[in-house]
Amino acid sequence: MKKITISLTVNGEPRQVLAEPREQLVDLLRRELMLTGTHVGCEHGVCGACTVEIDGAPARSCISHAGSCDGASVRTIEGFGEDAVMADLREAFSHEHALQCGYCTPGMLVVARDVVLRLPEADEARVREEMAGNLCRCTGYRGIVRAVLRVLAARRLHA
Amino acid sequence: MTAEQGGLGVGASLRRKEDARFLHGRGRFVGDITRPGMLEVAFLRSPVAHAKLRSVTKPAGAEKSVFTLADLPGVQTIRANSALPGFRVSEQPALAKGKLRHVGEAIAACVAETRAEAEDLAGACVLDYEALPAVHDMLAAPLPTSPLVHEAWSMNAFLETRRDDDVSGLDAIAVAKVTRTLRTSRQCMAPIEGRGVLAEWDPRLEQMIVTTSTQMPHVTKTGLADCLGLDEGQVRIVSPDVGGGFGYKGILLPEEIVCASLAMQLGRPVRWLEDRYEQLTASANCREHHYVITAWADREGKLLGVECEATVDAGAYSSYPFGACLEAAQVGSILPGPYILPLLRCHTISACTNKPPILPYRGVARTGVCYAMETTLDALARKLGISAEAIRLANLVPPNAMPYRNLVGKVFDSGDYPESLRRAVAAFDLDTIRARQARGEVVGFGLATFCEQGAHGTSVYHAWGIPFVPGFEQAHVRLSPDGVLEVRVGVHSHGQGMETTLAQVAHEILGVHPDKVRVVHGDTALTPYSTGTWGSRAMVMAGGAVAEACRQLAERVGAIGAALLQVAATDVEVIGGMVRRRDNDGAVSIADVARTWYRAPQNLPPGVNKGGLEVTAGYRPDPDTGTHSYACHAAVVRVDTETGAVVIEDYLIVEDGGKLVNPMIVDGQVLGGLAQGIGTALYEEMPYDAAGQPLAATLADYLLPGTSDVPDVRLDHMETLSPWTTFGQKGIGESGAIGPPGAIVNAINDALAPLGAEVTDLPASPPRVLAAIQAAQAARR
Repeated sequence: MKKITISLTVNGEPRQVLAEPREQLVDLLRRELMLTGTHVGCEHGVCGACTVEIDGAPARSCISHAGSCDGASVRTIEGFGEDAVMADLREAFSHEHALQCGYCTPGMLVVARDVVLRLPEADEARVREEMAGNLCRCTGYRGIVRAVLRVLAARRLHA
Repeated sequence: MTAEQGGLGVGASLRRKEDARFLHGRGRFVGDITRPGMLEVAFLRSPVAHAKLRSVTKPAGAEKSVFTLADLPGVQTIRANSALPGFRVSEQPALAKGKLRHVGEAIAACVAETRAEAEDLAGACVLDYEALPAVHDMLAAPLPTSPLVHEAWSMNAFLETRRDDDVSGLDAIAVAKVTRTLRTSRQCMAPIEGRGVLAEWDPRLEQMIVTTSTQMPHVTKTGLADCLGLDEGQVRIVSPDVGGGFGYKGILLPEEIVCASLAMQLGRPVRWLEDRYEQLTASANCREHHYVITAWADREGKLLGVECEATVDAGAYSSYPFGACLEAAQVGSILPGPYILPLLRCHTISACTNKPPILPYRGVARTGVCYAMETTLDALARKLGISAEAIRLANLVPPNAMPYRNLVGKVFDSGDYPESLRRAVAAFDLDTIRARQARGEVVGFGLATFCEQGAHGTSVYHAWGIPFVPGFEQAHVRLSPDGVLEVRVGVHSHGQGMETTLAQVAHEILGVHPDKVRVVHGDTALTPYSTGTWGSRAMVMAGGAVAEACRQLAERVGAIGAALLQVAATDVEVIGGMVRRRDNDGAVSIADVARTWYRAPQNLPPGVNKGGLEVTAGYRPDPDTGTHSYACHAAVVRVDTETGAVVIEDYLIVEDGGKLVNPMIVDGQVLGGLAQGIGTALYEEMPYDAAGQPLAATLADYLLPGTSDVPDVRLDHMETLSPWTTFGQKGIGESGAIGPPGAIVNAINDALAPLGAEVTDLPASPPRVLAAIQAAQAARR
């Protein structure tokens, strides 16, 4: 199949990659760029395991055509190295036992970070609503919700 | 014990050692692993539930990239037979052989450089088949009028079992008798990571290396060697990070056999990754039960007897290693639950249908059986006019009867079952709930009590005669020259955090800091043989084996340390990572001992154990009839009678798992199980049409509980040690998934009681709740 050239910024680095026109962003990230921290869960945009940041907003990379990401800036779980909110979330996720098998975790973290930054006043009900697009089969969600609330509370305290 | 030990060993909520890699996206799942020259596989799967397969026409020019069974010479069929009398043998071919027996059965493997191209090939194949009437309903399946799934059989049943206590006199003496017909739906376990297989042939070692997402690497190795005609030494199974299992990955896969065969034939690594569509349509494979259950009780609610006709939809084949009967044949033994039951008459059928072969899902039969028993008990209580609490208290095995052997021979090790119930009920303001009901609010309170047999071994499983009877569990421990302790176990974590908990066990015995304990698992080349992680057995069995190996290692370390301290071995103890003189006049570290063994052997005492600082030890509890954790689940629900929607307002679990090695992780297991149990109770269902077609092909159709559906549960622990295990720990990995359907539906039925309505079928989805209300209204007219 004929391939197209896609230019995009991934985790701060400009990248140029060849992809089939039918290819989704998640496959491009995982295969061409070897960024395997973004996971494939359902390939139809329901489970949230593949969530990455596209131009600063969470997006499902399994239903984002790679071609349509030409010129975009993409950040994956591997790209949050120095990010303070992500560091707090990682700490809180571990503290609250918000992960077991770890498969849904990268997508959860990307969405959780967005929630923390976008909704500093969110309460438990709001956090549950905002996180409802990410499925976890292991934890029963309590740890995840508590971890996000923990980071929100700490940030409000230090605001 | 030092304070530090108390903080890191058995009983400590130690944070997980494995978290960091997952939080940074550095986990390694099968799909993350590639090899140079690797080919990807897509399977051409059956579009129909039942057919004679006439031919597969391969796409022109790509004939060599499409493989049917005829193209896989020497591959054997999968057989998972039971020794139970009357078992009918099914042979599951790795790829379809002449017949298609369920939608999604693999017919051909299509191989290409990318998965997309492999799928293109699968789409270009032409199938010629003669459709046959499908057997999709488990109740119709055994009837003589039903077409046969396996032509050589006399009826569509893998097995029937009977227990025939005489209950004929109970009508005369019972004060209350109820009969209920109950049904649970077929589910898909749906771990977020699907299955995945990467097979490669190592020509130097002459070894097939299969990297696969499995809960039981060693069993897979044995089964795969059988099916490929290889010596077991020629097969190595690597199970990297596993993205959830729940039983879904406790199986020898046809896809593993096919990929391995292709890798040998093609001389290139071959990988298959299951996608969600495949998972939902080809592998919705659990939990589908039907009960007609009758119970008799006296005035106080004491059970006089139970009669049960149970059918389990076992699908088309008997999966390896657990077989097709693991659920149905256990119904009779699980039905008494935590109760004293004098009489039981029970007939079970493992029905064979044109659906995916059954796999044991977390809770294994117990979720359905508990649902049947708990809803029946509530029906009895309503009839007698006593409370749900009272009827349970009248029947629960009391603590002074422990250990208790029930009428079917199950032996409960320890616990205070009634206390778990009392504590649960005391945690709710029932007066307020009753007052709300009196005001017309459609709210209800429901209970479920149950026990979970875990880590049961040889004495239980040998009677089943399945391909694998669990026996002794081994652990290997090895001190490195730098004092780091390697712990090697054949069980495998798929989220349970065993890299942490087994390090805690080692720390408990040797005092080596958990950071300096490296748990090695998930590779048959590196670990002792094990039947794997299932049946809530890992913490009892592998935990016991690691403790035993560490104890034996401690003796050797102590002997060397004593020599370095120039005292007799009896004058030292190994504690806190040190060998200490009992008179406190000196100590050497375990790391010093290790350094001496490896790098300064001139300082070793004469007569030192030549086995050095590596020990393999085996462990099996005595008796090995299993631990019994137990719990009481209690729920408050609100029902919208207009829409049928159910909201869980409050949920409490009082749980006793014996000694909790890591309470945080145990809570996680219970909560995760609970979420799955809520799915069973309210959401999850794979419907089939009359042609045997699965109707939920996406996660928008097959509803998994999300953050908004699982409440912030209250957990309360009791801690009654098992007298039979190393630390008193009990298996508790499945418990959370067992109670919710019973507790939630009992709460729904309590809410609907004023309307005279009762839900009987799972999930209690809005249409079913509305149907129950409408049926009650119709009955009144």
